[in-house]
Amino acid sequence: MSQKQMALDAVTQAFGEVLGADEAKKRVEAALENSASPMEIIESLREGLDIVGKKYQAQEYFLSEVIMAGVMAEEVTGLLRPRLAVSSTNMFGRVVIGTVKGDIHDIGKKLVSTMLISAGFDVVDIGVDMPAEDFSTAVRDSSPKILAMSCLLTNAMDEMKKVVAALGGAGLRSSVKVLVGGRPISKEFAQEIGADGYGADAVDAIKAARGLLS
Amino acid sequence: MNMRDRVLTTLDHKEPDMVPLTEFAIDPPHLEALTGLKVEGQTSLQTPVSADRKEEMANIDMTYRCYKRLGFELVPVELSAPDGWQAPKNPDGTMIDEWGRILRYTSVTRTWSPFRSIFQNPEDFDKFTLPDPDAPGRLFGIEQMKKLVKDDYALGAFIRDPFAHVWEMFTPGNFVRWLYEKPQLIRKAIEKLADFNVSIIKQLREVQVDLVISGGDYSEKNGPMVSPRFFREVIFPNLRRQVEETHRLGVKFIKHSDGNLNPLLPDLVQIVDGLHSLDPTAGMDIGAIKSQYGKKLILFGNVSVDSLCRKSTEEVIRETKDCLRLAAPGGGYILSSSNSWFADAKLKNCLAMVETARKYGRYPISVPRG
Repeated sequence: MSQKQMALDAVTQAFGEVLGADEAKKRVEAALENSASPMEIIESLREGLDIVGKKYQAQEYFLSEVIMAGVMAEEVTGLLRPRLAVSSTNMFGRVVIGTVKGDIHDIGKKLVSTMLISAGFDVVDIGVDMPAEDFSTAVRDSSPKILAMSCLLTNAMDEMKKVVAALGGAGLRSSVKVLVGGRPISKEFAQEIGADGYGADAVDAIKAARGLLS
Repeated sequence: MNMRDRVLTTLDHKEPDMVPLTEFAIDPPHLEALTGLKVEGQTSLQTPVSADRKEEMANIDMTYRCYKRLGFELVPVELSAPDGWQAPKNPDGTMIDEWGRILRYTSVTRTWSPFRSIFQNPEDFDKFTLPDPDAPGRLFGIEQMKKLVKDDYALGAFIRDPFAHVWEMFTPGNFVRWLYEKPQLIRKAIEKLADFNVSIIKQLREVQVDLVISGGDYSEKNGPMVSPRFFREVIFPNLRRQVEETHRLGVKFIKHSDGNLNPLLPDLVQIVDGLHSLDPTAGMDIGAIKSQYGKKLILFGNVSVDSLCRKSTEEVIRETKDCLRLAAPGGGYILSSSNSWFADAKLKNCLAMVETARKYGRYPISVPRG
């Protein structure tokens, strides 16, 4: 095995074993020194995140490991960003993401957002407590391939339906795939409101996003 | 048997005359609908946001009337802010609680909820002066409620779990990052908050509460928020200190948590006296838990909050009957929802839950299926 491949495997391992941001950055720098390209490093990072996702769903890892892997991914992509052409970091296209009106929860949305960036999406995060019209405006202005909505409160679930309706009203519904997630959201609810996809958790949301565009 | 005796009997794992009921929180729109009164001032389900005693008295009186009307045997009360405390306000309309959590108003629930933190760096915690547990007035609300419920109803005092509290104080992102990079800081913060709780529990001797309830989640839908190992090394020893202090008062300690607690149950059963909410949508099977741990754990739950919000009344009646059939025999069971009565729960469904519990909750339990 070449020095470069060993260095890339070490990046995957840093993520897969959630060794922390400093260790991940150290290994990324070593990979760069061994002539790995930023895209090759991003691919190794993704492989590591896939391991984290699988272990989380198998309950070998817990939310803390998923959050930490997200923090590591954020730091490493930040480190690599100046070396990457914009188009190559955004190979899967743009996602507009936000938490719906009546709900100020940010954690789940932020985690999905970070993991989408690490997975190669260009993410426009419009924030929390966002009315349906703001989602619609963001879709019109940013032309994303996916609109992702999050909510934690059951009180706010019906807002998702309003967003889907607002997209329809603005003639934008057919231009974008709608992905929903959050603690009270189920697959059945997603279907009921006319969403295209559903993520049971952050890891599942990334899979669903990829699936929507495949 | 009066309402308090009904609770005390079931806490002793004996069958009272009927299954007691409670909710650990009822959102303002339902409180108002059930009492015809108006919630005064500013409220939060997670933290005291005002020390205006007149408003607090009005809200305590309203809660008492609401629980009385519903016939709930157990009335839970939060700690109060200390006398004279005022929440610092930010120009953007947010406020900061005593614990450095930045709160924002949620119009739907009409309550304040934490969404950010003043703790941006680990050093911020070293500079932070933790709230004084002995500051006068912290038990104001509990004392006032005791005057109202007397010995007719059981009274539960809410404290906030140190892990959940630190998780929120630092925000989950910072908590996890510092857990990796400054594990001693996280340990220290959890210990300090457990110290705070132990001091509060000592003070509760003056009020004669019947239960101590620890709010704050350990788990999310998939499982524990952090590894069970961290729970065993850091969280559980601190939980145990609070439970031991509670037992010195001669009362039971109930842990609330949403989410999938199954991986933690073998440990929790050795530490706490009971568990609240047992979220069925996160895989908490009240029948299985009753079979395995029912002799040691008092169970509270678990009519799904999602059902109260979104399903038919018939479905809620069926779930309530299932809860009674599975968890009530032998005592040690208090019926409630799997969290609280959210603002958008259908009140019709909530009342159907209560009515069904009264209809089928008389001992010996005999609940028809369906």
